[in-house]
Amino acid sequence: MPENKNECVVEKKFLTENNKQIGDTIRLEVEDAKNDDGEDIKYLSEDNLTIVGTVQSPLYISRDRGTSSLGAGKVNYYIYITNDNINAKDIYTNIYLKLNNSEEYTTSSEKYEDYVEDVKNDIEEIKEEREKARYDTLRKKAEDKVNDAEKELNEQKSDAESEIAKAEKKLNEAKQDIKKAESEIKTNKQKADTEFKNAEKEITKAKEELQKKEEELIAKEKQLNSLPEVSEAIKLELDQAKKEVENAKNEISKNETQLSKTKQTTNDQIKNAEKEVEKAKQELQKGEKELSKNKKEFEEKIADAEEKLKDARDKINDIEMATWYILDRNANAGYVGFIQDTDSIANIGRVFPVVFFIVATLISLTSMTRMVEEQRMQIGTLKALGYNRKQITLKYIIYAGLACIIGGILGMSIGFVILPKVIWLMYGMMYELIDIEIEFNLLFGGLGLILISVCILGATIYTVLKELRHQPSVLMRPKAPKSGNRVMLERIPFIWKRLNFSKKVTVRNLFRYKKRFCMTIIGILGCTSLILAGFGLKDSVKQIIPNQFENVFVYDMQITLKDDIAENEKEELIKELDQEERIEKIAKTYMTSGKVYNGENSEDVQIIIPETEEQLDGIIYINDTKTKNKISMKENEICLTDKAAQLLGINAGDTITLEDSDENKVEVKVSNVVENYVQHYVFMTKETYEKLYETKYETNVILTKNIELSEEEADRLATNIMDKSQVASVSNIASALKTIEDMMSLLNYVVVVLIVSAGLLAFVVLYNLANVNISERIRELATIKVLGFYDKEVYNYVAKETVILTIIGIILGLAFGFFLNYYILETCEINMLRFPKIIHGISYLYAILITVVFTVIVNIVTYFSLKKINMIESLKSVE
Amino acid sequence: MSYIEFENVNKQYKMGEITIDALSKTNFQIEKGELVVIVGPSGAGKTTALNILGGMDTATSGKVIVDGKDVTTLKGKELIKYRREDIGFVFQFYNLVQNLTAKENVELATQICKDSLDPDKVLEKVGLKDRKNNFPSQLSGGEQQRVAIARAIAKNPKLLLCDEPTGALDYKTGKQILKLLQNTCRKGNITVLIITHNTAIAPMADKIIYFKNGKAEKIEINQNPTPVEEIEW
Repeated sequence: MPENKNECVVEKKFLTENNKQIGDTIRLEVEDAKNDDGEDIKYLSEDNLTIVGTVQSPLYISRDRGTSSLGAGKVNYYIYITNDNINAKDIYTNIYLKLNNSEEYTTSSEKYEDYVEDVKNDIEEIKEEREKARYDTLRKKAEDKVNDAEKELNEQKSDAESEIAKAEKKLNEAKQDIKKAESEIKTNKQKADTEFKNAEKEITKAKEELQKKEEELIAKEKQLNSLPEVSEAIKLELDQAKKEVENAKNEISKNETQLSKTKQTTNDQIKNAEKEVEKAKQELQKGEKELSKNKKEFEEKIADAEEKLKDARDKINDIEMATWYILDRNANAGYVGFIQDTDSIANIGRVFPVVFFIVATLISLTSMTRMVEEQRMQIGTLKALGYNRKQITLKYIIYAGLACIIGGILGMSIGFVILPKVIWLMYGMMYELIDIEIEFNLLFGGLGLILISVCILGATIYTVLKELRHQPSVLMRPKAPKSGNRVMLERIPFIWKRLNFSKKVTVRNLFRYKKRFCMTIIGILGCTSLILAGFGLKDSVKQIIPNQFENVFVYDMQITLKDDIAENEKEELIKELDQEERIEKIAKTYMTSGKVYNGENSEDVQIIIPETEEQLDGIIYINDTKTKNKISMKENEICLTDKAAQLLGINAGDTITLEDSDENKVEVKVSNVVENYVQHYVFMTKETYEKLYETKYETNVILTKNIELSEEEADRLATNIMDKSQVASVSNIASALKTIEDMMSLLNYVVVVLIVSAGLLAFVVLYNLANVNISERIRELATIKVLGFYDKEVYNYVAKETVILTIIGIILGLAFGFFLNYYILETCEINMLRFPKIIHGISYLYAILITVVFTVIVNIVTYFSLKKINMIESLKSVE
Repeated sequence: MSYIEFENVNKQYKMGEITIDALSKTNFQIEKGELVVIVGPSGAGKTTALNILGGMDTATSGKVIVDGKDVTTLKGKELIKYRREDIGFVFQFYNLVQNLTAKENVELATQICKDSLDPDKVLEKVGLKDRKNNFPSQLSGGEQQRVAIARAIAKNPKLLLCDEPTGALDYKTGKQILKLLQNTCRKGNITVLIITHNTAIAPMADKIIYFKNGKAEKIEINQNPTPVEEIEW
């Protein structure tokens, strides 16, 4: 058993088929799982696993693992790992229950089924509550999560919004500032301009004044100049004035320079301020742009988040109601197959042993009577010597008793040990089984032994006592040969006269030994009929598959759609399938399981409702059992397959109760009983269904007829379709067919065993009878040998009778075998299957040939026994 | 050369570890058409000699010549053929086929022989004309033995071998049977051998062979055979 995370155990088949050994490492890929919170988590914590051993799982006893809704829909292997290695521990999909005291009941027995059913019903009662609880948990978790997310989102939203508001405010402030600055600049400029203008005006005024003064000065100078003598004072005054003007001029120019300098500075200042404003403006613009971008982003994000939130909300609504499937062993295909196989063998076991037992008893009976009769003389001697009846009888009782006990022990060791082992071995080809537990069945063993002992001892005692009635003297002489008699046929001279001598002799002899006559015929009849029944059974079993899948279900693939997929998705899938080149034709159907009731009795059925009846053409043929003709479905009536009809005793025209999977019961008339060989089906039209159950028809299964595909291609197609999201499962009829065929091959082995046993039994019967024949008629045969009959003639003398008896036996055997086969099929039939009641011509031929071969072998032995007859001894014995 | 010659015939039976000499150097001759009676105590080898002569048994050594044919050299089918064509047997207990009528018992023999006689005529000869459609169980012992003789002679054999033919019959019937055999020999010119332990009937024969301890101890030739009617015992 795996102990560490990185260990696993596999099945033996995995090792052999993949060339692996214990100790090798494999990589296991598992799809991620979702935990309860809906998060994906890695399923395994360790992918690389070391194989530490092999196991056998009772869940997969069949070599065929059944279908899966994953991958190509087939289970190839199973593997067990430790619990530690699984991350998704809180996700359980299965719970296996072991019921208390269930081991007290044999699996699949009625008691077991009842016991399990009880528990199932109990669980069924808490089912709804638990389903709801699980659903609520999941829903609550999801809701909480969504609510949290919403809260967070809202918080984030408000945060973001306030930030945006802040930013907007800032921007606005900046805008205001810029405006203010601009207007300031403007006023300052204007002010400066006016000031400058005033200053310039003043300067101009001063200049004008100065010019005036200069001109006055110049005029004065001129005057002065014109005046020859000018007082020094005046001159001084003038110079003074000149100097003043000059000063003023300087002043003005100084002022002018000052002014232009100031102007320059002011202009520069203004320009700077303007530049700054410009910069601020640009920044503002940038800010605004960013803000709007952020705003947009934010809005998108919010919208996104809200969308997601909505999705999450929707998903919560999508959370499917948890469903508990309460299944018992009958849900395991391998188990069911195994039980059905054992049932079929058990059924065969009901019929064949009886026939075998009867024949075996007959042989033993004749052997014992013959032995006693042959020892007639010894009985006479013993009686003459003075032994009493009890003592003599006891001798033979002990002999017969010992034969019964020894034979019984041998038979039981074969019957209870070897045969079960052989059959188990054959089962091993189909199923993975543990070693068989051999059990001594006291009832069958004891009953069989007692029955055969009673028969044989009774016959022995009867014969001995019969002989003992005679006087010793009589006993010591050979039994008087049976006197001859005329036979019926001699009274019909018309026929009798036409027979030649040897034929007459043969006819007379045939009727002379009536016991042997009957025994031989019964023996050969038994042999032929058992062999025929065996072959017939094989024929029938072989015919089930072709009948079902060539005459009834001719589709290639069954595609089951997921529940609750949207109508448009469904249509899309149908369209895709329609366009798929490998698919020739599709039929849309609604399939559901149901139950047909007739009074108390019920049978599980599959209800198939095609969207339109025409779609079933070339997909499923609905043929009437009696007329074998294709029928069309009637309004408000259903077609029921014939095995179910037979089991429930329903005929066409009867009214039955049909229950659908939701346990709605409706009464409906059966219009036709239709041909079918595997499982039970009910067919009805869409309209009928809608009317009966007052629900709308909804396609859930699509059946397809494909073009000719190889097995691989068919598998590939199935995988392709399986990958589509709308599809729940795809099953290929071809692979289903193989499974059933495998199952049937098992039955074939059983049939072979039967045929071989029947043949051997027949051989023993015939050989025994041939010996009886010779020993009873030894004097007669010796006589004709003395008369000079050649060996061949002696042989013919006897064999003619054997041949005639064989022919009669074979003819009767074929007739009896036909009915035996019919009877066996009726009793052996598994409820789910309809065995076609056919026996191929070749099987009749086989039955005849095998019987003839055995007869020939026996006759060859007879020929040599006849040749060995010692005439002298045989004729002398009288003295 | 005689019609039948027994020359130094030995017959040994092995019973486990003991070897029994049934015949040791037996010699005798029989001429064609003779009626021979072989007498001797039980265990003297009479029957063995008869069986060898009749092709039912083979000699261990020695020669048995019948009509110039060495019977000892015959094997398998030839021996059967010899029995079939040359020999007629009559037994003490008749050995009739119970399931066949008197006539059918005769037919059983005639249908396999080439030169067979007509069964009806033979039955008439043995005096069973009216009983030919009866089954053996409906016939008396003597009648049954007569059917057996009829069956044997109907084959038209060279040799009629009778092993104690009167052993199971009363005196009167026995006499009738012996008469029949004598007549058969005389009228039918068939060589007849009769084995008996009753020496009294020896005078009816042409030749009497006395057996003792596996040997033909004494051979007497009777020139004047007595008719059966005159023999009493």
